[in-house]
Amino acid sequence: MKPAMKADILKGLKKPPLGPVLTASKILLASYILLAIAAPAIAPQNPYDPLQIYGWEASSPPGTMGGGGFRYLLGTDGLGRDIVSTILYGLRISLMVSVTSAAIAALIGLTAGVSAAYFGKWVDAAIMRLVDLQLSLPTILIALIAIVTLGPGIDRIILALIIAQWATYARIARSVALSETNKSYIDAARLMRLPTARIIFRHLLPNSIAPAVTLIPIEVGHAVALEATLSFLGLGVPIDKPSLGSAVANGFQYLLTGQYWISLFPGLALFGLIASINLVGEDVRRSLDPRNHPA
Amino acid sequence: MIEEPLKTPLLRVKNLGLRHLSASGPVTILADVSFDLGRGEILGIIGESGAGKSTLGNVVLGLLAPEFQRTSGTIEFDGMSTEAMTASAREAIRGRRISAIFQDHTASLDPLMSVGMQVEETVLAIDGSLSRRQARHRALDLLTRVGIPDPQRRYRQYPHQFSGGQRQRVVIAIALAGSPDVVIADEPTSALDATVQKQILGLLRTLVDETGVSIILVTHDMGVVSEITDRVLVMRKGQVVEQERTAAILDNPCHDYTRKLLAAVPRLRIPATAANPDDRQSRTGATEEGDRETMLLIAKGVSKHFSQRVFPWSRAGSKAKFALRDVTIHLRRGTITGIVGESGSGKTTLGRIIAGLDSAPSGRITIGGRQFDVAKSGRRSGLLGRVQMIFQDPAVSLNPRMTIGETLRETIRFAAATGRNDAPADLASMMDRLGLPRSLLTRHPHQLSGGQKQRVCIARTLLARPQIIVADEPTSALDVSVQAEIVDLLKDTVAERDLTMIFISHDLAVVQQLCSSLYIFKDGRVEDFGPSDFIFSQSRNPYTRSLIDARPRRFTC
Repeated sequence: MKPAMKADILKGLKKPPLGPVLTASKILLASYILLAIAAPAIAPQNPYDPLQIYGWEASSPPGTMGGGGFRYLLGTDGLGRDIVSTILYGLRISLMVSVTSAAIAALIGLTAGVSAAYFGKWVDAAIMRLVDLQLSLPTILIALIAIVTLGPGIDRIILALIIAQWATYARIARSVALSETNKSYIDAARLMRLPTARIIFRHLLPNSIAPAVTLIPIEVGHAVALEATLSFLGLGVPIDKPSLGSAVANGFQYLLTGQYWISLFPGLALFGLIASINLVGEDVRRSLDPRNHPA
Repeated sequence: MIEEPLKTPLLRVKNLGLRHLSASGPVTILADVSFDLGRGEILGIIGESGAGKSTLGNVVLGLLAPEFQRTSGTIEFDGMSTEAMTASAREAIRGRRISAIFQDHTASLDPLMSVGMQVEETVLAIDGSLSRRQARHRALDLLTRVGIPDPQRRYRQYPHQFSGGQRQRVVIAIALAGSPDVVIADEPTSALDATVQKQILGLLRTLVDETGVSIILVTHDMGVVSEITDRVLVMRKGQVVEQERTAAILDNPCHDYTRKLLAAVPRLRIPATAANPDDRQSRTGATEEGDRETMLLIAKGVSKHFSQRVFPWSRAGSKAKFALRDVTIHLRRGTITGIVGESGSGKTTLGRIIAGLDSAPSGRITIGGRQFDVAKSGRRSGLLGRVQMIFQDPAVSLNPRMTIGETLRETIRFAAATGRNDAPADLASMMDRLGLPRSLLTRHPHQLSGGQKQRVCIARTLLARPQIIVADEPTSALDVSVQAEIVDLLKDTVAERDLTMIFISHDLAVVQQLCSSLYIFKDGRVEDFGPSDFIFSQSRNPYTRSLIDARPRRFTC
């Protein structure tokens, strides 16, 4: 197809721009990241430090003046922790867990997919059956099984998220690598007797990852949601170091007694985070997608 | 056909200018192009890639993407200016009075529709007043005319059941469905084997003579032009270089560029001197036993087949299709041996097995006395890396994400260490020798021309210091003028470095320039072999003769 024609068709296929919503999400996401980084400096309270928490101030409604010399703008939770501070510290954990797990899952998935394509035969069969198995089960179930087997802890959560996510990358990377393997520059590399690892990592991988890399931003959004779900179910991060998900879960029991703020505000923060990551992620994916840059 | 006075040509293109609106500003594609096309005439448009010849065909067809903008000129069809016509009038002309044949016969046909239905559908689309019966009758008529044998039976068959040449015949039948005045044929034979190409060109000529249709034949191949065109338009960078009767252009080209194009076409010599009839015996037959010493590489009894079974339990296709059947070849030290054959003859498969890239269930390869088992993978048997390859398409032979320098230095670091040749691996002198400016070292492959890329590939191959090189159609993805340079370069390189080469090609003339001995492959078998002179002057093998006859006569002497 002539590049001109291709450009024309692609123009028709492109979705309408997200416009002001996208700009808003970019600003929102940027402030989330800044807040997460600056949390220890700007949070009025360290929710991990028992000495700063006053148990008798538990479940104070928003606006209560606290014993620490500052006002609980969004109230306190059932243990007396300031909700604002809980959200800021929870944000750190949610972002760290999801970004780390998405990055490591991508690394493992891409390597596995590209290796499957390069070696073929039984290596391919083994890796891809594992991928099939993994993709045939719901993500949350896999994460649950992993947590139950591995036990709780932030590192275990990351591991569970990696296990739940690598297969998607592997499948996409393999399909691209299969067509790259047939190109003669790979034959040339084999003829030069390059070490197999060099052929895979220096030649095949850089030329096969583009479509899978575009997935990463979207998968980070999934990871945040998945981590929150696990924490909400009580299988996630430890109770004394709440992420956004467990912060929501902490207030669940108080909802019926009218103490809505304990769950509502962390929930809103979580909603904004996932929405902005997904929107910005979609935008990044589109601009990374080589099909959107004809010739 | 209504007879018209010859004064008004069927199609008149005048001072046509066209530019492409790209992100980096408008680029001129065509500048001041004028030509006439008479009734019953075949006009060849020839040029190298980027000459604007296909775009010119598309302008006439009215198939242009909106990014193209006409800057000047007029197109008159049958005395009427196309600009003056309404959109629906232009629509009525396209496909009916002007139709097209494209290069890729596979993409031109719908794989899920029977061939007859596709012709029938076109007939109906053009003349809605016909009944199904009449349309079918007309479709059968068309298939018969383009030379499909037994059209009644083949009517219900699907494109994959037809050979490439037959598919292109069906495409021609569809193009003729509306009894057009003009057919624009864009590289109609470039995807076909030489013998089939000859038949299709013959068909086009017959159709012109019988029906009075006019053809615009867009091609890069002087051979095609010399075979059937009446007049030729030589194009270069969007401009008409020369426009003349075919015979005049071939005999007496006025323009330097035309001369260069003509000179670049490899010519086949048929040696007149009758050599000793025992020549083949004395020169290759004896090799089996006698001078084993001079044979650097012997591939013996190599067979490979592809299973055609779709499912393990299916019976119909359980016959294996042979890619190679008991093939034996000998390579004499310091010579270039040609392997010639049409597509699917197994020549590339053999090359890849010799290089150790693919394995084969049976066969043995001996290099300088050491035997390799081809049933094992090349890395395991140690064959991989002993023989280097130059690939067909330089565009995919270089890692697009590495600079030229990185690619070549990697070769020196890894491959040269295991090289079997003594010449030192020196990057700078290699670049100079192959005519590559050193500034290219920091560039990426997409910034290089096709010819430069192929030179880099040759440099990489030589830096690995092999004794034997397999060159798999190294020139067929390049423009004609570059092809000759690469062929000369390979020839010099082999002589300078005392290399032994297998040159795989479908083009007899190129092989003749390079090779001292030849193997002719057909359907995975060695059909004919011998010293090059013997093959061209004396071989009585009917297949060899048909290959030689398929060459354009103009370029055979």
